[in-house]
Amino acid sequence: MALSGAAEKAHTRIGFAGPERKSAVEAGHLRRWCEAIGDPNPRWREEAPPTFLAALGAETLEFPEALAYGSGWLNGGDRFEYREPVRAGDTVTCRTTLSDVYEKEGSAGPMLFLVTETRFHNQHGRHVGTVTGTRIRR
Amino acid sequence: MKIHVGMELTPLVKQPTTQTLARYAGACGDFYQIHYDRDYAAAVGLPGVILHGLLKTAYLGQLVTDWLAGRGTLDSLEVSYRGMDFPGRPYLCRGVVRAVVGAQVDLEVWGEDPDGRRTTVGTARVSLAASTGTGPSGGEAH
Repeated sequence: MALSGAAEKAHTRIGFAGPERKSAVEAGHLRRWCEAIGDPNPRWREEAPPTFLAALGAETLEFPEALAYGSGWLNGGDRFEYREPVRAGDTVTCRTTLSDVYEKEGSAGPMLFLVTETRFHNQHGRHVGTVTGTRIRR
Repeated sequence: MKIHVGMELTPLVKQPTTQTLARYAGACGDFYQIHYDRDYAAAVGLPGVILHGLLKTAYLGQLVTDWLAGRGTLDSLEVSYRGMDFPGRPYLCRGVVRAVVGAQVDLEVWGEDPDGRRTTVGTARVSLAASTGTGPSGGEAH
């Protein structure tokens, strides 16, 4: 469908990137994460559990053209791709990029879909994983 | 046990509370108020605070890694959020093996509320360790 004016403005921001974020992966953070999600697996004392990358900087890009659309956020979905384990003691760097913008007509009115991709690299420069998030404005 | 198409993953029941949501907000750094501030949630038209979508994905990640139990690695996990979920209600995570090709296993996973609504649906791909395999054929069950 043809984009509305507000969606067209957001669409021009494809490729826009947030700041680079660098995080030390700390054993205490892993422990608090596991306590929060209720996963007692001892493996996660040293290794990041499946969705922990979300805590290291995958973000919702709140740029003005997106905020101008609708009045609130919904979460459409997430994809995690794993290439190498992330462990306590690693230093992980990531950056979130707006990779797609599209509009759909929902039952409660039009919705703007913002797809972001966040790639994570460790201190050795190895690409350890990618998180792709779909956030919705309406 | 040999992994085969149609095999169900051992279900995982989670019991998220409002305290869970506060802990998760702190652990992941997502402080959107709809997850812990009832007044804010009401002001934006929600019936109450709701679970973070990514918390439900974390539950589905645990479903898969509990089931794998070190027999292989998780390569990808992808979910769509189809409905809201609320603290104080059990959240049931389930999955089934949909394809087995050599060491690669594709899973359908989902989370359902106490009414049986699948509010989070997704897929996962795992690679089995060489020592695990899927039986002599390396393929689907016979």
